[in-house]
Parts: sequence; structure tokens; C-alpha cells
Amino acid sequence: MGFWSNVLGPRLTFEGGCFLPDHKSATARRPIETVAADHTLHVPLQLARNLSTVVEVHPGASVLGGQRIARAADSSSLPVHAPTSGKIASLGRVWTPIDGFLPAAVLEPDGKDAWLEPSRAWDSESFVAQLARHGVICHSPRVPAHRLVQDAVAAGVTELIVNAVETEPYLSADLRTMVEQPGRIIDATCEAADALGVKRAIIALPFRHRRVVKRVEAEAAGRHVEVAPLTSRYPQCNPVVLVKTLLDREVAPGDSTLDEQVLVLPLATMRAAAEALFDDRPITHAVMAVAGDAVDHAGTYRVPVGLPIRCLVERAGLLAPVLQAVVGGPLAGVALGREDAVVVADATALLLFSSVQTLRPVPCIHCGWCVEDCPVGLDPSSLAHLDAERSSDALTLACLQACVDCGLCSYVCPAHLPLAASIKRARLRFLKRLSQASQA
Amino acid sequence: MKQEHWIVTEDWPARPAPYRHGGNSLRDVLQAWLFAAGIVGACGVVLFGPAALLIVGLSIVSAVAADFAVSLLSRRPVIGGLAHAALTGLLLALTLPATVSWYVPVLAAFAAIVFGKGLFGGLGHYIWQPALVGRVLVQFLFSQQLSLFVALPQSPVLAPGRLLIGDVHQARPIDMGTYRGWSAYRRQSGSDAWLMDRPVQVLRRFAEGNVSSDGKLLYEPLIRDCLPPWVDTVLGLVPGGIGETCSLALVVAGMYLIYRGYLRWQLPAAVLAAAAVAAAVLPVQIDADQGGGYDWLPILTVEQGRAVGLAYVLHHLTAGQLMLGAFLLAGDMIASPMRPRGQIFFGACIGAMTIFMRLYGILEGECYWSILILNPFVALIDRRLKRPILGLAAA
Repeated sequence: MGFWSNVLGPRLTFEGGCFLPDHKSATARRPIETVAADHTLHVPLQLARNLSTVVEVHPGASVLGGQRIARAADSSSLPVHAPTSGKIASLGRVWTPIDGFLPAAVLEPDGKDAWLEPSRAWDSESFVAQLARHGVICHSPRVPAHRLVQDAVAAGVTELIVNAVETEPYLSADLRTMVEQPGRIIDATCEAADALGVKRAIIALPFRHRRVVKRVEAEAAGRHVEVAPLTSRYPQCNPVVLVKTLLDREVAPGDSTLDEQVLVLPLATMRAAAEALFDDRPITHAVMAVAGDAVDHAGTYRVPVGLPIRCLVERAGLLAPVLQAVVGGPLAGVALGREDAVVVADATALLLFSSVQTLRPVPCIHCGWCVEDCPVGLDPSSLAHLDAERSSDALTLACLQACVDCGLCSYVCPAHLPLAASIKRARLRFLKRLSQASQA
Repeated sequence: MKQEHWIVTEDWPARPAPYRHGGNSLRDVLQAWLFAAGIVGACGVVLFGPAALLIVGLSIVSAVAADFAVSLLSRRPVIGGLAHAALTGLLLALTLPATVSWYVPVLAAFAAIVFGKGLFGGLGHYIWQPALVGRVLVQFLFSQQLSLFVALPQSPVLAPGRLLIGDVHQARPIDMGTYRGWSAYRRQSGSDAWLMDRPVQVLRRFAEGNVSSDGKLLYEPLIRDCLPPWVDTVLGLVPGGIGETCSLALVVAGMYLIYRGYLRWQLPAAVLAAAAVAAAVLPVQIDADQGGGYDWLPILTVEQGRAVGLAYVLHHLTAGQLMLGAFLLAGDMIASPMRPRGQIFFGACIGAMTIFMRLYGILEGECYWSILILNPFVALIDRRLKRPILGLAAA
């Protein structure tokens, strides 16, 4: 970081967005803490609803940590591994925050936490094969990482961006990872860049944490990895906005960044890939921030997959009754509808709030804040009024698809209109109608 | 903490994202606007005495009553509480002089709420700034009390000792030629109040060529003999509407709104800049015994080594109404464009049109008229000045 960028701030930025109160002071300075797997684990046997697997264990079998308990049904799916050693008590189903009920194995840990010896076969395997064998899932979009890499190669990507700009409030997993293991992340980024054959590999970091940026820059010296400190204005973390900011390429509405020859990988995926590549460890833990105003010991935790969220909450402690629980960030996450859910492999945060914000909408007062803050230049107030059943022109669809679901419009609206939710609903209805029309 | 806290949460609401809100609400916006308008109203009460307080109070009370009545009749809940009605009443009172009869603010407030707001469907749906709708409607009804031309050519100014107290028994017209400012006049004459022309009215007369020039000098007699000192117009020690005269209070109120984020600085800046440019450029008529014709580019005029052109432009800015329009009336969120770019265009049109109407028009309250004329174009401005959508511009 040179003098001028140190003084004046990040050079690259985007139009729109806004600085949110980041609420990271409670979590950002605490090291990542591993939560011991000493409770019955309900390990989901699929990483997502569409990733079908074949169960390889039967009730009563003993497993070691890292042992495969379900293999991928086809080449585009992912296997599932045991997070610790123990006995499979039974097979059943369990509630997961995003996919609802998934088949699960109930694993009673034996407390020894014995792991499989790393097989030395892995250094002859290709990058993609290792990702597939270790069950690495990309956190956003939620597809298997090896499939994403194959798609990227097929699309001929020229740039790889590792997205460590964590601009949503409360989230701290990426920041802690960058603080604790920058070298591994850079190594894994170089591996990925080699496998993809990209021209540039960029690690995007929040400029606000300058000491982290300097540390990563020192680690990246002499490697073919660029470090890009960016503004922490939300939603800089969104891939579409990131591509616009860093490379000045505009992803067309409804397309993915691959269409612009850029692969954006979340840092959490990179960390999982590093574990798979360098330690020969499958993805059995999720690194997630547990925070919110109801949490006593807010921090970043490394949680075994399948741990009931109730246990995680007991581990972190509560200060107040929880009235709103969210998996993911407070603006783009998913509300937790049931408390018997378990931790899944691609969780990034669990936020527990002691209040639920019920807002009564009033008519739009044309303050223009949603227009000002929209990162893609939409007019959410006019799109929210849209009657998606009747209007059917291509421009409207493009507008709806250009929305990146950052949720800022609802966040800033003084009239308390549910703008983001109505735009999302209109888009889903629109796409459904389109697909019905194409089938007919 | 123990488990019972966790168990409370049996039915978590499955709400859509986002789960936290920025904390701004309509209430905050309206309260900030009320406070800002209240600063100006308080200054008006100080400057014009209890009569102004009565006008402000009557206007607010009748606006709130009218809003209540409209909501009862239309069986629709009042949105945003009664704060918006109170704000409309307060803004309306700021545009009225303190000398109007008691029924003028009452009728104006009812007209503002019923015709300006209620008929359009209430808050968020109206097209014209309601306070101004009320103001121009009563202007037609009671033109003798409001207008400058007909019955009451001059309006009173309170003397230093009579501020806030009022208690004036008689007010005499004064000779502007010997008037050397507000504080100096009291000392030499000892009167409690006196009648003066409004600065706006003087400027209008000047633009018509009705201010007799002094030899070769054109602007010097205007500024020396007809207008009060400029500092008096900034401090509000000139006749005019309750909230129109005190430019200083208006700037402070506008700064407060800008600081709170409920007014974009681009809008008042555009209004004032466009008005200044228009006043600097637009020609004024030279009276017949000077040979007639027009004087272009007034700002460049220098007479007897004094930059009277600049003083002329400054007088245009602070003469009244324009500041109130720029800082409080044009910035109404519902009746102004959404983007800063649109607001610059909107404000520039208002500023230029105000000066144009002041120089060449016949309607009194030119700033209010230009805001009302521009208000219907807000939707058009918004549509034309959209932001480019990411990814669509390239395709």
C-alpha cells in the first residue's frame, strides 16, 4: 500500500452502496475457536438438496474422523465425510436452514476424535479431482467447487478473484481466516490459478483492515497474486459489484460472472480448498461467526458439520431471549425458521438477535435513498410497485434480474417498505411464468 | 444464560431478508423537517411579534384539524401521524405575512390539506407541495391582503424594543431615502414600528423601470434610496412573510436538514446558483427619460467605483421567498426528484424561473409559483435521469 492509497483510501470503488455499522468489534479480535464434537451430531448426508449421494454406512458402524459416509451419486455431486470418530447410531432426516429436511446420519462421537491417516496418494491427483474427493462446496453460488472450476475452464476465464471483502455487518470468518492463515490462502489461490490457467489472480480485501492488507501483501510478495484493498461499503462483497469494481466489466442481468471470463470464489471456499489440498482433510467443519446482540461470547467458531444449532448457541451463551435467528449475514442471510436445525458445511454465520424488527410500511415518500444506494442502478421503489403478472416486457425482466439481492433498499427505506422482498418475489414469479410459457 | 431463553423462540417469523433495518423512519424525517421549519417560525415570531405566533398557531391547528377531518371522511388512517399536517401548516404560515386576518391561515390550511393532499390520496401521493397549494389558493381569494399591488402597499417592521412583544399602536410609513438601516432608524425616530416596502416589491418595480434613475446612475438610486441595507435582509429586519425574511435562519434550518441527510445540498445550491446567474444576466428595463432600452448583464455594472451590480444580485437572493423556497419548500421529498442530478435540474429551473417571473411576470409569490409549475415535471425528470443499470448499458 503506497502513501497515497494509505491516505486517500481505496482507489477503486463503485457507484451506490452505503457504509453499514459493522458490529465486528466483538468478533474480529478473537481467534477462531474450534467447537469440540462432544455432542450427538446429525450429519446431513447431502450438502445441498440437488447433490444426491449414496449412503456408505449402516447403523451401528464405527467411523473415523474424515471417513467418507456417503459417496457422490454422480460426477457432479459431492461426498460427505464424518466430522469426528464415533458410532453411527441411526439414519434419519434433519432440518437444515436452507434446504429444509435432508437425510442425515446420527453420529455418536466416542470422544477420541481419531482421524484417518492422510493418504499420500493425493499429491498425484489433479486440483479438480481433489476438490471433488474432499467434498468442497462453493459457498456462493452453492454448487460443488469442482464443477464451478470445470465450468470456469470451459468458459475460458482469464481472472480469478478471491472474495475476502466481508462488508456485511457481524460477519468475521473471512477476516479471521485472513489474519490467521494468509499464507495458506495465497498458496491455495496460486494452485487454483494454475489449475484454471488464468492471467491474473486477485485477492480482494477490505481496505478498512489495513494491517491485514499489509500482512497479506507481504505474504504475496513474489507470488503471482495481486492484493486489492477495496472499500468496505456494502455490497462490495457481491461478485457482480466486485467484477465491476476491480475489472470494470459489467455482468449482464441474469448472467454469472463466468460470462465475463471472471471466476469469483469466496474466501471460505478457498480455505476449504486449502485444507483439502495441503492437509488432505475433507470438509467436515464450518467456520462461522456467532454474533448478534443476544450472544454472550460472540466470536468466530470452527464448528463440526451436523452439530445442532442449539448446542452451538449453548456453547456461545445467550444474554437475552432470541427473537430472530439468521444463518448468514443480516442483509442477505436466511432466517432460521426452526430451532432444531443443524450446522451445514457452507454456513458462514449464525446471528441471534434479541429483537425482531416488525416494520409497518407507509407509502413511498420519494426520498430516493434506495435509488442512491442501489449497487446496480435500479429504482427499487418503482420495481416494487410492479405488477409482475401483467407487465411482461424484456426490460422489466432485465431490471428484476439485475438485482443482486443485497437488501440495501429495504435497509435504508424510511417508509419501511419491503422493497428487496417484493423485487425478489416479482423476479421468481416472472421467471416461473417464463418457464411455463416456454414449456407450453 | 440457560435454555429457557432459547425455548421462548418457538415461532420465529420466517421473514424475508434483510433482517435488520437502518433505523430511519418517516417519523424521524417529519420531525427533522418540523424542527427545521420551527427554527424559521421561531425567528419569524421574534421578528413579527405575537401576531405571527397567532398565524402560525392557527395554521398548524387548522391543518391538523383538516387532516383529521379528511381521514374521517375518507375512512383512511392518517399516515405518518399528524406530523405531516402540522408541517404543512407550519410551512404555510411561513409564507404568510403576520398582518393577514385570522381566517386567511385557517382557510389556507384547509385548502392545503384538502386540495393539496387529501384529494390526491394523502402522504406520498400528492403532486404539488400542499402548503403552496393552500398559499396560492388564498392568494386568489384574499389578494387584497396578500398581494403587494392593491390595497396594502407597505408592511410593518418592528422596532428593536418591540421584537417579540409586539404591542404596537401605530405604524407610520417612512421615507426610504433617509432610511439608514433598522437599528439606526429607531435611534433617530423613536417609533415602535414603521411601514416599508417589501424588498421583492422594490425589485419588481425596478425591473419595470419604475424606479427613477439619478442622472447616469441606474442601480445606485435603487440600492441607496429604495432598498434597506443588505445586512437587514439577511437578518430578516424587513417586511415580508413570517418565514420569508430571515435568510440566516433559513440557511441554518437548511444546514440542519442537510446534516441530518433529509435534504440534499444540491437542491438549494442549484436554486440559489441559478437564481444568482439569472439575476446577473437577465436585462432590466431602463426608464424612458434615460432613453429606454434594456441593461444586459447587470452584475458587471460599476457605478461611482462601487460594484452595484453585485449588490443588486445579492439583494435578489435575499429579498425574500427565494431562500424559503430553496431550503424548505422545494426540498419536499414527495414533490422533488429522487436523484441529486434531477434535483439539480429541478432546482436550477426553480431558481431561474423565480428571477424571470420577478423581473417580467405579474404574479406575486414568484418562487412559490415556480415550485408549483415544476412539481408536475418531477416524474418526468425522474424518468429521464435514471441511473444506468449495471450490465444493461454495455449490452
